[in-house]
Amino acid sequence: MNRLLIILALALTASACAHRDNYVLLPDSTGQAGTLNVKPVEGGKPIKLDQPYQAASSTLGGGFEEGTSSEQDVKKRYAAALDASPPPVARFTLYFLEGSDELTPASKRDLEAIMAEITARPAPDIVVVGHTDRVGTVADNDRLAKRRAESFKKRLQERGLADDAIQTAGRGEREPLIETPDETAEPRNRRVEILVR
Amino acid sequence: MFRTGKHIRVRIHLGSVAFGLASMFSATVFAAEAAPQAGNIWGAQIKVSRGVVSIERDGQRYPGLVGARLKEKDVIQTGGNGSVGVMFNDNSTLSLGPDAEVILQRYAYDSTTYMGAFDAYIKRGTVSVQAGNIAKQAPDAMRMVTPKAELSGTAKNYVVSVGE
Repeated sequence: MNRLLIILALALTASACAHRDNYVLLPDSTGQAGTLNVKPVEGGKPIKLDQPYQAASSTLGGGFEEGTSSEQDVKKRYAAALDASPPPVARFTLYFLEGSDELTPASKRDLEAIMAEITARPAPDIVVVGHTDRVGTVADNDRLAKRRAESFKKRLQERGLADDAIQTAGRGEREPLIETPDETAEPRNRRVEILVR
Repeated sequence: MFRTGKHIRVRIHLGSVAFGLASMFSATVFAAEAAPQAGNIWGAQIKVSRGVVSIERDGQRYPGLVGARLKEKDVIQTGGNGSVGVMFNDNSTLSLGPDAEVILQRYAYDSTTYMGAFDAYIKRGTVSVQAGNIAKQAPDAMRMVTPKAELSGTAKNYVVSVGE
């Protein structure tokens, strides 16, 4: 019995000592990794990771060393955390008639697909983001964008969705789908994006 | 600009005064204490929850069930068999493996400009991080801090493992 306890204690100590911090940069859905700057709290040299599966591991001296992990390593070591990732956001885009918050006929039909996605999720929350084209001022477009989002929110509430499950945002003309010069009417930029999350 | 009738135009004009005041006010609040946007104190929601998951808020402990909302200063903890996936307002996500603890030190997000501040302290455990709109707008505005290092950058996905 005693011997078992000693072995157990040794094993626990060994695993605690062996555990070092490990940070691994992963590729995104397009294969790009971006950069991850690792700045040691105790001072010391920062590490910049910029390749998929490039890693930083803490050393006993309090600093970090650079290394390489792999898809298999990450899947094994981080299995539980990765597996608990929220399902990806489902995105829909609906279009408006010029200067109004009235949907185009085709977009009215897309509403059914959105409702299906919402009911398929256990705890759905919806973000409605309104966008405009570049006709008018930035401030006017911020308001029009928000109005489009609010008007769509009402439509979802009529379908039985709770008020606090829907957030609205107006991005105005900041994020055009199609780049245009200012004061250009562009139907594809007059839209709401629906994020079902 | 000729896009609306006279009635609507008048209403928009009146509305714009109110909106202008409101946005000035919220901009001041944002700068002073980085409070979450007015009207939405919640910064995140639990989307996946397995095993024992709990939320500590103002010294109280709550079960971390699917659908539970989270805000700044909340502490997320998982037990030995637990894991949890959290979605933030800016589409960032954090998911935690077993025996993990993460403190949401700061979360502020403006859904119009995508400006914000997101600081989380990963005290222990494994965490998978997906950056959202806050980091897309300003990479340094999202920071994951561990006892040993501070992480930030343009990365969209990375994983973090912190020992005891």
